[in-house]
Amino acid sequence: MSTLSPDQWQAVSPYLDQALSLTEEQRAPWLASLWEQDPALARHLQTLLEEHRALAQDGFLEQGPVAAPDELGRAGRQIGAYTLVSTIGQGGMGTVWLAERSDGRFERRAAVKFLSLGVTGRGGEERFKREGSILGRLAHPHIAQLLDAGVSQQGQPYLVLEHVEGEQIDEYCDQRMLDVEARVRLFLDVLGAVAHAHANLIVHRDLKPSNVLVRNDGQVKLLDFGIAKLLEDEGQAAASTLLTQQAGGALTPAYAAPEQVTGAPVTTATDVYALGVLLYVLLTGQHPAGPATRSPADLVKAIVDTEPAHASSVVTAAGAETELATGNAAQRASTPDKLRRLLRGDLDTILAKALKKNPQERYASVMAFADDLRRYLGHEPISARPDTVAYRAGKFLRRHWLPVAATALVVASLAGGLYEVNRERVISQRRFSDVRQLANKLFDIDVQVRELPGNTKTRQLIVNTAQEYLRRLNADARGDSDLALEVGSAYMQLARVQGVPIASNLGQMDEAEQNLRIAQGFIESVLKAQPGNRTAMLRAAQIAHDRMILARFRGQYDEAVSLAGKAAELLENFHAGKGDQAEASAILNTYLNAADQFGTEQHFEEALRLCARGTELAKTFNLPANAGSFLWVSAKVFRQRGDLDAARKAIHESTALLDPGPAWITQGKQTQSFQLALIYEGRILGEDNSVSLGQSEEAVKSLERAFRIADEFVHRDPNDQSSRGRLAMAGMSLGDLLRHSDAPRALEIYDHTLRHLAEIKGNMNLERYEVRLLSGSTYPLQSLGRPVEARRRLDTAFEHLKQLNFYPADKIYAASEAEDAVRALGDYEASNGDIPGALRVYEQLLDSIQPGKSGLQPDLDDAMHLSTIYGAAAALYRRAGRADREEALGVQRRDLWLEWDRKLPNNAFVRRQLGAANLP
Amino acid sequence: MLNKHLDCSAKTREAARHPGHSRGWGTRLESNISSLLTAAEQGDSSVGEALFSALYSELHRVAQRELARQGAPASLGATTLLHEAYLDIVARDGPSFPDRARFMAYAARVMRGLIIDHARNRRALKRGGQFEITSLATDVGEHVADDRELTSISEALDELAKLEPGLAEIVDLKFFCGFSFAEIAGMRSVSERTVQRNWEKARIYLHRTIRADLSC
Repeated sequence: MSTLSPDQWQAVSPYLDQALSLTEEQRAPWLASLWEQDPALARHLQTLLEEHRALAQDGFLEQGPVAAPDELGRAGRQIGAYTLVSTIGQGGMGTVWLAERSDGRFERRAAVKFLSLGVTGRGGEERFKREGSILGRLAHPHIAQLLDAGVSQQGQPYLVLEHVEGEQIDEYCDQRMLDVEARVRLFLDVLGAVAHAHANLIVHRDLKPSNVLVRNDGQVKLLDFGIAKLLEDEGQAAASTLLTQQAGGALTPAYAAPEQVTGAPVTTATDVYALGVLLYVLLTGQHPAGPATRSPADLVKAIVDTEPAHASSVVTAAGAETELATGNAAQRASTPDKLRRLLRGDLDTILAKALKKNPQERYASVMAFADDLRRYLGHEPISARPDTVAYRAGKFLRRHWLPVAATALVVASLAGGLYEVNRERVISQRRFSDVRQLANKLFDIDVQVRELPGNTKTRQLIVNTAQEYLRRLNADARGDSDLALEVGSAYMQLARVQGVPIASNLGQMDEAEQNLRIAQGFIESVLKAQPGNRTAMLRAAQIAHDRMILARFRGQYDEAVSLAGKAAELLENFHAGKGDQAEASAILNTYLNAADQFGTEQHFEEALRLCARGTELAKTFNLPANAGSFLWVSAKVFRQRGDLDAARKAIHESTALLDPGPAWITQGKQTQSFQLALIYEGRILGEDNSVSLGQSEEAVKSLERAFRIADEFVHRDPNDQSSRGRLAMAGMSLGDLLRHSDAPRALEIYDHTLRHLAEIKGNMNLERYEVRLLSGSTYPLQSLGRPVEARRRLDTAFEHLKQLNFYPADKIYAASEAEDAVRALGDYEASNGDIPGALRVYEQLLDSIQPGKSGLQPDLDDAMHLSTIYGAAAALYRRAGRADREEALGVQRRDLWLEWDRKLPNNAFVRRQLGAANLP
Repeated sequence: MLNKHLDCSAKTREAARHPGHSRGWGTRLESNISSLLTAAEQGDSSVGEALFSALYSELHRVAQRELARQGAPASLGATTLLHEAYLDIVARDGPSFPDRARFMAYAARVMRGLIIDHARNRRALKRGGQFEITSLATDVGEHVADDRELTSISEALDELAKLEPGLAEIVDLKFFCGFSFAEIAGMRSVSERTVQRNWEKARIYLHRTIRADLSC
């Protein structure tokens, strides 16, 4: 980020005034018009406004350097039986006051702690008091007594605690230069107090040096027992509490156990872990997670993932750290080498056992922990055993499993970590590499999550956090190729989760396109600096590919084919081989969809060439399912060329390779490809009114299977839009086929599909399918004698077309939604006996029909649709007794197929159509 | 730029101890802030530094008095301090004193220097002295601003003051002195919305400048 020169500021200042005086909604169009006039200024302004939004969110400079006087506590105020004297502390949890008993019966001082966290909730007051009184019964010489708990008249929860004057245990030990043995003995007092609480079924949950004080007379006093629990809402998970506290900045989880981070149940073993951390700190002067200056993000990662180094291994150091190590050892009346020898062996083993990631592998109780320490002091053999190889393997497996609760926390801590970066304004390389790893981790999680249906909410959380966090990295990534590559890749990933329809996504296509453009900018800057960077080359191809997919879904066909060309060219230069195994699926998917795009545009040779290259690569990478996908695309291309035998051969091979068998439900990705292949198998075998072999019964089998699978996925995740798309494809083809033989079943299929499509709003692609399905369903409705319902559906279909801006229009493209709907309207009129009405509709259709899509050559499928229109209109004229028009249309139809016979000589399908057209 | 403030404040403290060595204008200034304000408003740039010194020692004096009166409050209320100082000066200089709004505009700037000095002293105290650790006072310091951070904000603010003095003034009043948007709007007879918009604008500038300083 660069500072603004006075000139730059003067230039942008009046615009900034204007922009800030507009509301968010007004700002977008205003900025858009500015883009047209002065793009450079608009871009600059947009960056500043984005910054403005982030600053507002962070509350930058919101809190002044001088805290406002506490509103709640006032000296002399009465709280229960206590009078407030003066504040003695202020922290994230709230304000702490020194108080005296008001009734003068006891000469007793107390600490009153007001809790600023609004976590008690409605009905929480009673619980707060009740649990407070339970904690109040906890009496132990080493536990600071909780005297009272309540809620003030202002609704502020408070705790009255025994007032302890003392020092934090770590500082107490350091100051008095206690040796290892003395520290262990003092620590045993702490264990005694915790064991007593555990015996009373009270877990501390927040043990840390600042909660363990030592008085001048050497008496240990534990503070805040059970208070962490008191702060939790009823039924609220520990993880969400941790999250709240993190968001509020109150708690750095330096002493949190892995289960507190992941949201697993908190038990006495949680305290064992925190005590392990405390002992580690007391004995080594260092935190088991490593050096002290860490962001919360690092810490969370370390707590869940990183096995702490042996205590003995961290007390000696070379180079710059020597002084620290010597100082630490001196505070323990020792030298680094002596300290290392003291810790090596039993103490290492005891600490490792207390600090196990898995609660069940820790000491079963605080007593057992204390017993081992006593044995150590008495030079007896301890119970804990050093780690074995089997243990380490188990840990590895665990590390690769992260529950969804942890996902949320990683996301939160990621944001926390960045906040930290900003706040401290220390942007060191090391930190960035950590942030990078976390970014990758975030998307790894999404990849895992995406394989299983039913987690849209979590993914949205990931998306929001990632977007915000990448935005903050933008400025720093400029001019740093390594970071730009990471950030660009991350933007691409983010776009995919948002709305690139190549995998299950959140359906946010506009956001996706926007992020892809940003990604492209970053990757291009990398390639400019490092033209040979292979990762960047591949990413560039992938981004072109993703944008191609989006363009296609938005009906921007020219854009799509030009992007396909770009992706193919970039892949060509990339020249993938065996060494790119790690990126295999990225490479193959890019080839696959580029090939498909070429096929759609009837660049048959190019499409088949890419398919062949892809199949070959899939074999190189030993990925048969991917080979199956390439065969499916080849089959589509063959079908378009009218080469139905080759198409059938390819699609059968494809479904055989892709079939996941009984495990389909767990094979999310492969099953998606399998569904598509099945749908095309059905279409090749027997699609109605289309380029097919006319084998309806076989076709129904394939389509039924695809329909059932898609339906199951839709049921598992109501927000999964891509599964709905496949359901629509299968439902449409199936309904269109069945309506000729089994009207009730066809209607059932149409209606079932329509119900699921209606559940999603604002997805243009799904809306288009809706039009087709509504139109298709009028045929079985007519045959079942329900014309009123048929009419109603046609109205709905035309309403959709109007909203989509597809109709009314001068041009109607063959095989489009509009053609389907208009033809259905004409057929509806005809079957209700209104032949002139039907003819008016068909004449209008014949006037406006376009044989191919905008900017594209008509394909065989378009020809098939055109031929059907000519045929249907001719039949209507025959019923009306207009032989002249009937004949003219018959000629048009025959000429159409004669032309195709020239385009595709000796093609069986075309010859068959030509034969049908020549019939009187 | 900030160093200049600090020099100023050091000078002021010096002047308070040795009134005779204050290059002549010390006494005159301390006794008559109102005439200095008037001179400054009439464009006499030479009085700027003098006005700063005079206001600094005035605010410092009021702060000491408040601290003594309240015992040891957890914090020092900047807003209260400015109001108290204003009342004191008006009582001393008489009704000829410029209005409260104009006084605040100058004094807020001075307050900034005082607060940074205050934060710096606190840090020195925290490092050197052994705190008596009392029960639960574990998180003390969380909300005490870092003087180095304040210094970088102050430097950026001086840059901004060269371009748009009005914006810088709002930041002094809001961030350093804790006035609300409504209070500031009242002082300047503009709408609250305008104050807020200017504040947001200033914030963008400051963030830019601070971030840029750190990355080089």
